[in-house]
Amino acid sequence: MDMLLIGLCLGVFGVVFVALAFGAAMHSESWNSTVQSELPLVKAAVPARFFSQRVPITPAVPPLQVPIEVLLLQIENHVRMEQAAAESFLASPTHDLLHSKTTSPFVN
Amino acid sequence: MTHELLNGLSPIEAELVLELGTKQIVPSGTPLFRLGDPADRLFLIERGRIRLTLPMQVRGREEDVFVEERSPGQTVGWSALIPPYRFTLTATAPLFEAEVIALPREALRKYFAANPEAGHKIALNLAVVIGHRLQLFQTMWLREMQRTVEVRSA
Repeated sequence: MDMLLIGLCLGVFGVVFVALAFGAAMHSESWNSTVQSELPLVKAAVPARFFSQRVPITPAVPPLQVPIEVLLLQIENHVRMEQAAAESFLASPTHDLLHSKTTSPFVN
Repeated sequence: MTHELLNGLSPIEAELVLELGTKQIVPSGTPLFRLGDPADRLFLIERGRIRLTLPMQVRGREEDVFVEERSPGQTVGWSALIPPYRFTLTATAPLFEAEVIALPREALRKYFAANPEAGHKIALNLAVVIGHRLQLFQTMWLREMQRTVEVRSA
């Protein structure tokens, strides 16, 4: 009989212990979910940057600067092309020739 | 060799004008004249090419930027006949040496005074050279301005 009472008490304690442990676990989980549900709110205050056209793209490597000799050659080619265009206009002055688009890579 | 400055002159008149000048070799890379130099003679190109440049600030350095290239028969250095008689460009022979005939201003003036008809023809030819340059650069300036306006309005 004593053994039965002891077993019953231990069983009740076990059930209570398991119930408390389960309750604690559930409380912790709900706290975590509360925190997690607040995180997106904090993130939402920051504007979305991915896939946005307005986000400036910072190159990891600075753009290559062409050597000055190449730059001067590009300017010279541009001047020659513009002179040719101006000569065409002077040979037969029309509005279209005056405002013809240049193909010079220096400005395109 | 036909020189644009001597168009319309008789062969004898042209010969007399050319005799006023002296032939000058311009070694490759050597300036014939520099921007700001006193201009007391103009040049008729006999051989080779003369490259005209203007200084421009490029990346904090002053660089001679190409403006125009003149070839045999053409004239450079007409600032010698236009006050304040200072060159407004720098002229060099780019890759190969060039040969020019240098005509001193004072010799030309004396010739024009003694031969007004020939002087008149040369003055008209000079007006064509200067006028063409003016129209050319006026057109180029407008095209550059148009581009600037388009960029600023975009």
